[in-house]
Amino acid sequence: MTTLIQEVEPEPDSTLKRWILSDRGATLTAAFLFLVMWQLLTLFAPRVPNPWAVVKIMWIELSGGDYGSVRKGEFWNHYAATLQRYAYGLAIGFTAGVLVGALIGASNIARALISDTVLVLLALPAFVWAFLTTMWFGIGWQAPVLTVAFTAFPFVAVNVAQGVRAITPDLRHMSTAFGVTSVKRFRHLILAGITGYVFAGLRFAMIVSWNGVLLSEWFNGQVGVGFRTRFWFDANRYPGFLGWVISFIIFVVALDRLVLTKLQARAFRWRNSGDELDKDLLATVG
Amino acid sequence: MAKVTVSKLAKLFPPPVKGGDVVRAITNIDFEVDGNVFVSIVGPSGCGKSTLLNILSGVDTPTSGSVTVTEAGKPAKLGYVFQDARLLPWRSVMDNMMYVRDDDSEESVANAAKYLSMVGLDHTHEMFPGQLSGGMQQRVGIARAFSVEPDLLLMDEPFSHLDAMTARSLRDHLQELWSRTRKTVLFVTHDVMEAVQLSDRIIVLAPGGVIYDDLSIDLPHPRKASDPKVATLQAEILGQFENMQVPAVQ
Repeated sequence: MTTLIQEVEPEPDSTLKRWILSDRGATLTAAFLFLVMWQLLTLFAPRVPNPWAVVKIMWIELSGGDYGSVRKGEFWNHYAATLQRYAYGLAIGFTAGVLVGALIGASNIARALISDTVLVLLALPAFVWAFLTTMWFGIGWQAPVLTVAFTAFPFVAVNVAQGVRAITPDLRHMSTAFGVTSVKRFRHLILAGITGYVFAGLRFAMIVSWNGVLLSEWFNGQVGVGFRTRFWFDANRYPGFLGWVISFIIFVVALDRLVLTKLQARAFRWRNSGDELDKDLLATVG
Repeated sequence: MAKVTVSKLAKLFPPPVKGGDVVRAITNIDFEVDGNVFVSIVGPSGCGKSTLLNILSGVDTPTSGSVTVTEAGKPAKLGYVFQDARLLPWRSVMDNMMYVRDDDSEESVANAAKYLSMVGLDHTHEMFPGQLSGGMQQRVGIARAFSVEPDLLLMDEPFSHLDAMTARSLRDHLQELWSRTRKTVLFVTHDVMEAVQLSDRIIVLAPGGVIYDDLSIDLPHPRKASDPKVATLQAEILGQFENMQVPAVQ
């Protein structure tokens, strides 16, 4: 029996569907749906501030005014204090993570001794460090800085260790066989080999440690985004509370999307290059 | 024109399991290679062929005996083509070529480009290894080894991971390159046909890492795999292998 199947030319997707399925379209659509759901939620939960109230209070915080006794420019003072602590903490955690990660990746003894400890640290949430550092150091800059450092450290270490292990003995043997100098090996074999993993570790570290700095400032700060968040919470003004938290989330996400993701994609472009196998070239050169 | 002297060379590896016997990869072998010749080392898997090249290149150390690789009395410069290409995946093809070279001058870059061109990879300089097929990667490996202009070129089953068509094409590329450069080559393979097609001399290793035979191939280069003389010689050598009796270890 012969079945005749008539060929039907598929119709092209509509412009709207194509836009929604694009990266930018999907991101904007998701943001719009989130705002709609947030607005709907405020109808049923009166204590949840609506998006407009949050924007309004953050505008006052930003531009100055009499709401909450905020002077003009104070927004940036709080932000600068938090960012400074965040940056110092990340720098300490990152440096320690790279060193320990390189050690774990390169030495079996170090891996046996340290890797379990790093895994335990990986499982500790930022708020535990915020509590501990506040108990250890009291009120001051040390607690938020070290909270970020302790939270960031294991994420960097694990990724760097993975990167070092990706440099196979075969590549090291090849370098030995060709008599490649130590300087070249460090630059092209080790440094270039782990760069992508370092960025991956830094991204994870940034994303998981931002709440650590806010929590720590909440507990013991005199200034900072966390302190300001608590100020509005204590004042029973939830738009301010939510506005400060959201503003910092936006900052971290923007930093990740606009800077780190691009740097990581650049550092890892060799890994994705196999997906774009140049078939024309293969056909040309066999 | 490199000179290779292997004297009473032995390599033992620790037992793979507790209480087992040591693994005898190479057992007291002696041979010499002198001049611009293409020498193949043939033998079944596990007879110490790759171990021998690793010792010659300094990647591994012998248990006893000695190897010397010299060029006019000085340590010789080595090139190495491995079973897999062993390219740095995060560096472009040209960067991989430059990685093993002594200087980054324009002349050096031009020289590297020349060897890439010889293996038909003119348009791949900025590509990453992941964008190339296995055969193309191996061609980069061959170009890289030749481009350092070695006194001695070590090749460890360079075509064993490739399909038959690609391997055949690369053998032709290799013969052409060798005809132009006339380097001293030590070529490890388990493929007798390949050895007969490429070599001036074949050293046969038997299990346990002992020399079973040392043959001269007196046919003009370049040779085609389809050449009846190559096929006849290959059949003769394979016939000898069927009667292979491993000499007693001393």
